[in-house]
Amino acid sequence: MGPVIEARGICKSFSIPSVRRETVREHALDFFRPRPHERLRVLEDVGFELRRGESLGIMGRNGSGKSTLLKIVAGIYAPDAGTLAVHAPLTPILELGVGWNPDLDAIDNIELLGTVMGMSLRELRTATQDILAFAELERFAHLELRHYSSGMAARLAYAVAFRAVRDVLILDEIFAVGDAGFKERCQGRYRDLHRAGHSMLLVSHEPRTIATFCKRALLLDHGRIVMDGPSAAVADRYLMLLTEAPAEHAPAAAI
Amino acid sequence: MTSVATTHVPAGHGHFGGLVWTLIRTDFKTRYHGTVGGFVWALLKPLTMFLVLLAVFSYVFASEPQYRLDLIIGLFLYEFFQEATKSGLLSLRAKGYLLTKARFPSWVVVVTSASNAAVTLALFSVVLLVFLALSGRAPTASAVALYAVYQLHYLAIVTGFSLAASVLFMRFRDLNQVWEVVTHAGFFVAPIIYPLGILPERMHGWLYLWPPTPIILFSRSVLVDGRVPSALAHALLTVEAVGILAIGALVYRARAPRVAEYL
Ligand SMILES: Nc1ncnc2c1ncn2[C@@H]1O[C@H](COP(=O)(O)OP(=O)(O)OP(=O)(O)O)[C@@H](O)[C@H]1O
Ligand SMILES: [Mg+2]
Repeated sequence: MGPVIEARGICKSFSIPSVRRETVREHALDFFRPRPHERLRVLEDVGFELRRGESLGIMGRNGSGKSTLLKIVAGIYAPDAGTLAVHAPLTPILELGVGWNPDLDAIDNIELLGTVMGMSLRELRTATQDILAFAELERFAHLELRHYSSGMAARLAYAVAFRAVRDVLILDEIFAVGDAGFKERCQGRYRDLHRAGHSMLLVSHEPRTIATFCKRALLLDHGRIVMDGPSAAVADRYLMLLTEAPAEHAPAAAI
Repeated sequence: MTSVATTHVPAGHGHFGGLVWTLIRTDFKTRYHGTVGGFVWALLKPLTMFLVLLAVFSYVFASEPQYRLDLIIGLFLYEFFQEATKSGLLSLRAKGYLLTKARFPSWVVVVTSASNAAVTLALFSVVLLVFLALSGRAPTASAVALYAVYQLHYLAIVTGFSLAASVLFMRFRDLNQVWEVVTHAGFFVAPIIYPLGILPERMHGWLYLWPPTPIILFSRSVLVDGRVPSALAHALLTVEAVGILAIGALVYRARAPRVAEYL
């Protein structure tokens, strides 16, 4: 069987916020001035394949473009160039801690996030209790999200996403949140899903996580894939990268 | 020349009925705080407003009973327009937290944003029809059907506007303020408190371009006066509604792929 994700030549750049014009007023006032084209190149010519049933790690320094790459793979951002084919339904777990409707309770928020992730109302009727149980938040089912602690909100989001998984799962820094017990449960669920044949894409800064959960990994630097190989070797190279140029923070160059 | 091509398999196997229902239900619940009292008030508000306005206008315009109904219809229909376009414009930003969670047909968020205003409009319409029937001026079935068709046109117009405005609002962050000024000024462009007849004939065509104008005039005409506008007038309204919806959909399609980046 062919790969579930095929990405080739993916490029992505953003206009730098300081030169973005954000209001009608700014556009009107600057109408006759030439528009400076300052863009931040975040991904350049990124290509990889995720094979069926594989768990692939992605490492890289802050700002190297990992989250941007996952959002493109998930279809949340559009690439500027390149081809991307995702051959199976995909569930992203990205920055889930933030973003709930604060005026609704957990049950309604689960329904919102669940349906957005492609679950049907019938599925959710049976899943809601499981989700609350996984997050250990049954007691807070009818509490409005505004009163949740940030950790509780994050747990709820992961519980929904783990339950919504159809085939491919992509995770951004997920094992970094929650207390030790919850982390443990997430990792257990991750192992179960992997064993059940799901394909995974996992971003982490933690060399041990990548080495434990993935056989193969990619190393992103300045928006390019600089290494694609066994996860232990990639983790070592990542640590070297950190010591090599600790001061340099910039992602890809501005043009 | 760079090539871009992306293909995805939808996670929900293409069914988003559940998403549509959840968005409408939670919008309603958020607005009325999920309490029984809030829910009852939501249902009673159009009735209460109708009765209050009726009482006040009956007193103020005692000599012109026709005027008070025209005024009430104009006020309610304009309020729908104001409220629905405002929540449509804000919809993508307000629901931005969902856009970064997964890939899904985000236009659903925009299209459902008018649901609260539409519920109010529907309740008002029921109250209005009951009042007309009780006062012995029950409109004919075809008049009611025409009125319903006008409201569908109104919804199409509001949806078209919302599709375009919601994505443009991501780039122009003061668009909501501009639109607020426009709708406030537009209140006086639409013939709500004055009859269209007091303006010179040559201006009428232009006034009809402001969508609430034809909707308000036609609705009054069929329900209160019992007069059906000409076929040409109907055709122009349909052209206007379909045109606005089509332009909105095109603007949306061009802008939507980049919306998540600007959240
Ligand atoms: N929507 C956006 N608009 C403008 N710039 C953006 C946007 N999203 C990301 N960037 C920029 O792209 C670069 C890469 O960001 P990204 O989030 O992909 O990094 P990352 O590798 O995930 O970093 P971290 O390890 O800190 O999570 C950063 O410089 C960031 O400022
Ligand atoms: Mg990141």
